[in-house]
Amino acid sequence: MPRNAEDKLADGGGFARWPAYFGYALLYLLLLGPVVGLVLYAGSTRWFFPDLLPATWTFETFWRQLSNARTQQAIGASLLIGGVVTLLALAIALPAARTLGLERFPGRSLVLLLLFLPTIVPPLATGMGLNIIFLRLGLAGSLAGVVLVHLIPVLPYTIFALIGVFVRYDEGYEQQARTLGAGPWRILWQVTLPLAGPGIAVAALFAFLVSWSQYVLTLLIGGGQVITLPMLLFAAVAGGNPATIAALALIFAGPPLLAIALAARALTERTSTVGQQY
Amino acid sequence: MTRIALEHLHKTYPRQDAPALERLSLEVEAHTLLALLGPSGSGKSTILKLIAGIEDPDQGDICFDGCSILRIPAHRRGAVLMFQKAYLFPFLSVADNIAFGLRAKGVRKATIQTEVQRMLDLVGLSEMAHRRPAQLSGGEQQRIALARALVVQPQVLMLDEPFSSLDPAVRQNLQEAVRRIQRELGITTILVTHDRSEALAMADQVALIERGRLVAHAPPQRLYERPPQRQAARQMGIDTFLTGRVTGTTLQSQFGPLTVKEVPCHEGEALYAIRPEHLRLEHEPCAHSLPVTVQSQIYRGDHVEVQVSLGETVLRVRTNAACWSNGKRVFLHLPPEHLFLMEEERPEASRLA
Repeated sequence: MPRNAEDKLADGGGFARWPAYFGYALLYLLLLGPVVGLVLYAGSTRWFFPDLLPATWTFETFWRQLSNARTQQAIGASLLIGGVVTLLALAIALPAARTLGLERFPGRSLVLLLLFLPTIVPPLATGMGLNIIFLRLGLAGSLAGVVLVHLIPVLPYTIFALIGVFVRYDEGYEQQARTLGAGPWRILWQVTLPLAGPGIAVAALFAFLVSWSQYVLTLLIGGGQVITLPMLLFAAVAGGNPATIAALALIFAGPPLLAIALAARALTERTSTVGQQY
Repeated sequence: MTRIALEHLHKTYPRQDAPALERLSLEVEAHTLLALLGPSGSGKSTILKLIAGIEDPDQGDICFDGCSILRIPAHRRGAVLMFQKAYLFPFLSVADNIAFGLRAKGVRKATIQTEVQRMLDLVGLSEMAHRRPAQLSGGEQQRIALARALVVQPQVLMLDEPFSSLDPAVRQNLQEAVRRIQRELGITTILVTHDRSEALAMADQVALIERGRLVAHAPPQRLYERPPQRQAARQMGIDTFLTGRVTGTTLQSQFGPLTVKEVPCHEGEALYAIRPEHLRLEHEPCAHSLPVTVQSQIYRGDHVEVQVSLGETVLRVRTNAACWSNGKRVFLHLPPEHLFLMEEERPEASRLA
């Protein structure tokens, strides 16, 4: 059906579509504009006021930052923390979202509110208190501590993304698999996960992005021992060298862009095959 | 193969006052097809879910060949349930859908291939193996779902209104296919339906369920021609009931004296009924008839349904001709040989009536 609707729009000629093209143009400008600025900054060593473009054109700063051991360690730490946080968040959020999406029980709205709170309460407020607790538990300054504290802002997004999946989920497929002789694990891997796949991809993306861009909580709990990419970026911003800032910002933006692009591609492929069914 | 015995099954769903099943006992003989017939919400589907292991009973027991299965987890019971919706996995091809149960059992790859092909042939869709479920019609999807259920060689096959969302031609075709395959393979089968003609056409035995209770259990023909009591008769489309004392062969019914052939063996009130197709309308008074007024008629193609009023009561009569004008006084003929005696009413049954 939607395909027919699109065909009709296309038949209507270019005139009907020009507001859409204008919208696309504006969108790309807003998205790409800052990136272009960053590339210009990162590619310049000297760029002074009256010049429209940098006087000398070199990506030396960018490569120097990328080959720097500290940067590489920070990238590694960020990827490791982001990856572990994503896996943990999915493991916790899947059963939680399933229950919240499928069941109606007393106190459900309260649970939803509590889950949503970390997105409203500033992380600094909780972070200070958590710092004391983590110090007592010996988790402060450790990778495990940072992973744990990242789960606080990550989980609400992951759970809410997945609740959307399970509200429309039909348990009949699982019941059918069960009566056909599939045990609980087979049902999880071969029925539930494939059915919820696109939603899980979105939730995983959210989880990774929120963890990847975390600064305050990493600083508070990591206590300077765990250095992630945002911490280097903040330090560079304080240092005030535009080329260094721009180079780090580009490195920082790389993996999320890649993740979004991959997810978008996977999602459009998946939904087009799944979509035919409905 | 498998004989199923349900013993005093009781089930109440959370946050519902009325029980879905009330101490229901029922037996299904091996190799036979039992139809569970009843209005929606009467607890038919609950019976299937309990047997499949998707739900657990509050009380009672379920036995396959005399052994309780309640402790066996759903996926090891060998009881496959087919729903109204085909529930083909959208991310698998037709062949992989059929193979699903065999893979879960750990069957060898080569065996799976031949079995899947055999099933596709059985349901007549061999050329569809590599399609996606979304590319099949509703009837084809149900056929594949049937193949997927049969390929695991279930001890018990359960069908929960699997044809009700299909159009009539496809439905009949599939009913015949299921009946043929069920006879061929001899699988003990339970079919849930609210369609009387479907139950009568397909089943060896029909069990009538109403409000979580078993109302009647008999072969289709007996149930249709001689339902044992009022509730069962209503479900079989009968709405002409006569009560009164019988002296000799005369029933002193609420509508006047009538001759009957069957005579109760005890004193007191007796309950008779007659099928609508055995009633006849006459223009002139004759023996065994009562004066009635024509109220309306509905043309149904193969017959005409005439509604007549007898005092306060409205009765339905099946006739062949639509020559009865509304408001006309005519005579309702009740042939004595078709008036049959039913079980005495229990107090709760009469309250319902």
